[in-house]
Amino acid sequence: MVPETEGKVEKTMILTPQQQEIQRLAREFTEKNIIPVAGEYDRSGEFPEFIINKAKEAGLLDMAIPKQFGGRGLDAVTQGIVLEEIGYGCAAFATIIGVSILGFCPVMLAGTDEQKKFYLDPVVQGGLAAFALTEPGAGSDVGAAKTTARKEGNEYLLNGSKCFITSGGYAKVFTIFALTDPTKGVRGLSAFLVKAGQPGLIVAKHENKLGIRGSNTVELLIQDLRVPASQLLGKEGDGMKIAMGSLDITRPMIGAQSVGIAQRALDECLKYFQNKYPDPRKLGQAAQFRLAEMRIQTEAARQTVRHALAVRDAGLPYTVESAIAKTMGSDTAMRVATDALELLGAHGYSHDCVVEKLVRDAKIQQIYEGTNQVQRLVIAGQLMASIQPQAQAAKAGR
Amino acid sequence: MSYPFTEDQQLIRKNARDFAQQYLEPLAVPLDKSGDFPAEAVRKMAEHDFLGWFLPAAYGGAEVGYLSYVLGVEELSRASAAVASIVVNHAAAAYAINRWGTAEQKQKYLPEMAKGRQLGAVAMAEPGPAVGEGPEAVVAAKQGDRFVLKGRKSYVANAGVADVYVVFACTDAAAGAKSMTAFVVDAKAAGLAVGPKKTTMGLRGRPTADVVFDNTPADVLGDGNGGAAIALELLAVTGVAEAAQTVGVVAAAVEHAAKYSQQRIQFGRPIGAFQAIQALLAEVATNCHVARLAVYDAANLIERGEPFTAEAAMVKIFAQRLGMKSLLDTMQVEAGYGYSEEMLMAKLFRDVSGTTILENPLDFPEKLVAASIA
Repeated sequence: MVPETEGKVEKTMILTPQQQEIQRLAREFTEKNIIPVAGEYDRSGEFPEFIINKAKEAGLLDMAIPKQFGGRGLDAVTQGIVLEEIGYGCAAFATIIGVSILGFCPVMLAGTDEQKKFYLDPVVQGGLAAFALTEPGAGSDVGAAKTTARKEGNEYLLNGSKCFITSGGYAKVFTIFALTDPTKGVRGLSAFLVKAGQPGLIVAKHENKLGIRGSNTVELLIQDLRVPASQLLGKEGDGMKIAMGSLDITRPMIGAQSVGIAQRALDECLKYFQNKYPDPRKLGQAAQFRLAEMRIQTEAARQTVRHALAVRDAGLPYTVESAIAKTMGSDTAMRVATDALELLGAHGYSHDCVVEKLVRDAKIQQIYEGTNQVQRLVIAGQLMASIQPQAQAAKAGR
Repeated sequence: MSYPFTEDQQLIRKNARDFAQQYLEPLAVPLDKSGDFPAEAVRKMAEHDFLGWFLPAAYGGAEVGYLSYVLGVEELSRASAAVASIVVNHAAAAYAINRWGTAEQKQKYLPEMAKGRQLGAVAMAEPGPAVGEGPEAVVAAKQGDRFVLKGRKSYVANAGVADVYVVFACTDAAAGAKSMTAFVVDAKAAGLAVGPKKTTMGLRGRPTADVVFDNTPADVLGDGNGGAAIALELLAVTGVAEAAQTVGVVAAAVEHAAKYSQQRIQFGRPIGAFQAIQALLAEVATNCHVARLAVYDAANLIERGEPFTAEAAMVKIFAQRLGMKSLLDTMQVEAGYGYSEEMLMAKLFRDVSGTTILENPLDFPEKLVAASIA
């Protein structure tokens, strides 16, 4: 796929030798373990537990966990490279791995060392983490959450429900967001660390989705779930900050897997034309330009995503870069995948070809972890904050 | 819309809409799930004369004109694009026989097709780069006073359920597409085999499969001349009907999303109150409106027998811009719920993608438009 090794020196300058090596390993893993079975899991909608175990052995599940907690401690750029490769094979697998990272971001951001050990050990041992924020009435509007956490002595009693929870049926650990003070909206939101299998944490309906069908998406019922106070992250009311900080980290990861989808769509077109034409260079100019456009978009998205991740690795603020990377990546995946479907016609529309799956898988990238409308709110919000009302500007002597 | 429809046209639309609401809406989701051919719905449509909409009354058709036909297709497609697609592919074969067939061929096939006792299909695309090219190209060889076909057609809509196929094949393998000729082939003819049914992203229930010919006897359609021109015109008129399908699905989708946007409350108000959501809905509704006018205009030209090549190509181009793009937006309005297969939007998305597919995606309709203004 990505011809990063072509033209050797020039194009490999961007990635370090270590990053290139990990890219190679992720690509091999994808080719060997994911691409051959992705279609099967897409059709059945079953959870690919077997492959996830292999991913654990390959060190893909704990790549974002620091070495001191037993993980591989890869930098953000490298994590993105891995997710792009996995996304190239199947976005459902990339989602499982990426959302597990989202699940443990809260403890990484706000947890004590003790809490980190409590929560990250199961992940290092091969378990998945889940992030339980969304509710039926609270999607983009996080503050409309209805799940509550009432303090009773040295523990909290959680009640409510969550929906669209990725890997909810298989995760070993959950971060659950609940209102410790329902009168305060988002300022009353708190984050709790919960291990799977607790009484009161009930996995309900599994969602039958258009795409990323191999990933498990469930409704969670929370009924008198008792959580020790020691499993509250930070302090009461920190939930919104923790949730948004976590999403800032993983949004470029969505961008990265989206770039994988786009690259795959382009490669599938080339593969098809190679098989269809004795001399593929005879392809008309209109089709050639379309392919070139797909390449332009994909490359622009790839660099945008890597840049956002590099900004994070550099320790700089990256909220806006993160929102841009998610939007740019997912919009590109969608556009390139639909271009591929149009170029491949009836072949692309049938299950003879992976392109229709790429189209279905691409769509969720524009929706989850904050719709692209929410990303634009974030980006516009920062722009609006950078310009002042005229009265204030005059006061400031401008 | 102030489009000057005749009373007949309004009546056809109303009949199709009533039928679609009564029979197709309840059927659409189960049909998508099972993918089984909706024989009962097709039989009912035949009773309503939907299968012979534009065929002459002399052959048992309703003789309503191409614009009325397109209005009917749009209404059927609102409820089930798969069922509408069965009609459109059947009608394409009927159009060809009616337009270019000999008197004998018309008499033989059209009364049966008009009443839906026989279904039609058109077989054009091949596994190779173009008709007549590649190792499996369908080649017609003369045997005595008739032809036999050998080769493979791919992704034939209505394959397996059709009783009669209009097949485009080259009579001279060396000359390739220049020798393209249209044939009529009975589904029961010797050596005709239908491949395994393809699973498609959407339009499930409308069969798609390869059709393989092995020394299959075939009748030349009409006088046998101008196969390439016949193919071009047939693709153009069918493209207009397919665009009506796209419009139908998009109309259903934007209605669904608008309703959702009024019901879904976030940040204390319906999301439809946000400009960002209004912009998505308005974009889709605007494109749908413009596409619809273009479709009606092209259909009207076809009906009146005026030149329509450029207009039909424009419709095809615009339908591709309208289709998937619109459904991505209406699904975005419904976000996670729209992505669920338990809601309607996911199915509409999978369906609309099938209505804008080009028979030969590399043969860009843009060139016809460019030629028309050169």
